[in-house]
Amino acid sequence: MLYIIEDMINGVLMGSIYGLTAMGLTIIFGVLKVINFAHGSLLMVGMYATYWAITLTGVHPYLALAMVIPAMFIFGYYLQAIVIKPIFIAEKNVREPITVIIVTTGIWYILDNLALLVFGPQYRSLADNPLKGKMLEVGGMFVSQPKLFGFITAIITASTIHWFLQKTVMGRAIRATSMDREAASLMGINQYRIYNVAFGIGAATTGIAAVTLLPFYNVFPTVGVLFDIKCFIIVVLGGLGSISGALLGGIIIGLIESVGPQFMTATWTEAIVYGLFLLVLFVKPSGLFGQKHDW
Amino acid sequence: MNHQHFNKVMIVGLLVAAFALPLVVRSATYMHILVLLLFYAYLTTSWNIVGGFAGVLPLGHAAFVGIGAYTSTILSLQYGVSPWLGMLVGGVLATIAGVIIGLPTLKMRGAYFALATIAFAEGFRVMVENIDYIGPLKLNGPRGLQIPPLETGLTSFMFATKEPYYYIILVMLLAVMLLTYIISRSKLGYYLIAGGEEPEAAMALGVNVARARLIAMAVSSFLTALAGTFYAQFSLYIHPKSIISLDMSFEIAFIALIGGRGSIIGPLLGAMLLRPVSDFCRIYFGDTLPGMHLIIFGLVLIFVMYYQPRGLQEPLSRMYQRLFTRKTLATTGR
Repeated sequence: MLYIIEDMINGVLMGSIYGLTAMGLTIIFGVLKVINFAHGSLLMVGMYATYWAITLTGVHPYLALAMVIPAMFIFGYYLQAIVIKPIFIAEKNVREPITVIIVTTGIWYILDNLALLVFGPQYRSLADNPLKGKMLEVGGMFVSQPKLFGFITAIITASTIHWFLQKTVMGRAIRATSMDREAASLMGINQYRIYNVAFGIGAATTGIAAVTLLPFYNVFPTVGVLFDIKCFIIVVLGGLGSISGALLGGIIIGLIESVGPQFMTATWTEAIVYGLFLLVLFVKPSGLFGQKHDW
Repeated sequence: MNHQHFNKVMIVGLLVAAFALPLVVRSATYMHILVLLLFYAYLTTSWNIVGGFAGVLPLGHAAFVGIGAYTSTILSLQYGVSPWLGMLVGGVLATIAGVIIGLPTLKMRGAYFALATIAFAEGFRVMVENIDYIGPLKLNGPRGLQIPPLETGLTSFMFATKEPYYYIILVMLLAVMLLTYIISRSKLGYYLIAGGEEPEAAMALGVNVARARLIAMAVSSFLTALAGTFYAQFSLYIHPKSIISLDMSFEIAFIALIGGRGSIIGPLLGAMLLRPVSDFCRIYFGDTLPGMHLIIFGLVLIFVMYYQPRGLQEPLSRMYQRLFTRKTLATTGR
């Protein structure tokens, strides 16, 4: 019994980190209405940025946040402004911008393979890692410390973004654009700048996820692909555009992955996740918590 | 010499060249590259029926390749059924799978449909990787299936040289291109294109968009599965990671998008442009610059989307048109 509770706790912790990785995707979708297929690559870029920030400066793994968040924001902002925006302008009258999806797929392939070219295929983990394998013992159960920190970070990040979107002027502008681009433009909001900012925030959030992942995860050029599909599943599960939905969707996936192996071969849990995803897609495509205008 | 006449001469000339090519190309490596080129052109042309005309973005076609490859291989390994028959069985199974996956998803918006097809293909791969046996059928899980060499010949779909494979896939490609041409001229084709461009408007005019898409999906998955059997017989080894891979699904879509989705010649053009890039990058930069061809793919994809969202077939056919006009002017002496 204790095992199952322990698995569940670890599942919730890992799941919240999954949710954190998916949060950037859901933010970008909420505003741009485009699934960013390069999301996993953003995570990969964030993880390499974190890795090098920590390795070169020797700071504590979590202090890398101070460098990675602004770096990723700028990266995301200009990726949207330079590469994706021209397509948006060209496809202004198309409601279903499939071309944008395709361009993000191109970005995915370029970024992943550039990383392979520059950093090589080897798996890297932090050499001097104060958090490595640290466990917290609670009543005979062991909980991974970096995952617990990840859980806390995920909650803080979600609430910060929520506060930002609800209370600040920029947040209001973002929500207005996500609800109705034309109306927002008429109110004097530059929708393309909002897209840039939203992409930047999405990338920065993904950077936070990268920092929380690195203390217990390897970084390698295709690390994003492992999370890519998972993130897609999480955001659809939770409802595209919903931040709390992403967190809850992540926790559901985390629980399936951690408790599932008690009852079946571990690799089967992956099939269950895909099955659940297709089920949600068929039965309730708006997701568990998605509404038309979630925020 | 009028317009149509010239086009006919061109087509016949290209066909003769395509059939004569193995007489010129003697190297097995180049033949291998050519066979794979045609294989991808075939896959992309099949993909194009649903991904091009219907205006949706399926990103899981590797699942159908897998269904085709596994069905014919299992049938021939365990029951001695000729791969040609297994090919058709695989096609039927893939059609059923395509309809099942298409029924609920084809009504969805673009992004959802793309995600659903990815999840379907990945879920299918994970299942094949985890199943060693379905009842009496041996799938062999992640280790895949090896096809032991039998006597070569047309009935066993196994040949010692690459030339027969080349002709088989060439004929398959020509057949599917002809089919695409017929579809594009048919009512179904018009329905698909109308539904792809303006679904609401098409529905308002009484076009059953969902039904047209479903038919396209069924045809496309059937044809894609046939290529799976071909691939299994060509490489004599299939395993889930290579044959049901996301990379393959994406490469098919990439070729179609770069060549020109929704055109008949686009997929072949895309394959002719991209496959050599990836093969030669692998041969020459494989060790020093891994992943180089994928960077090129990505860059080409983005630039094509910028400047020629309808694919490279458009400027190229315009160029051909212009070249042709000058020629007729010269011959008629005007």
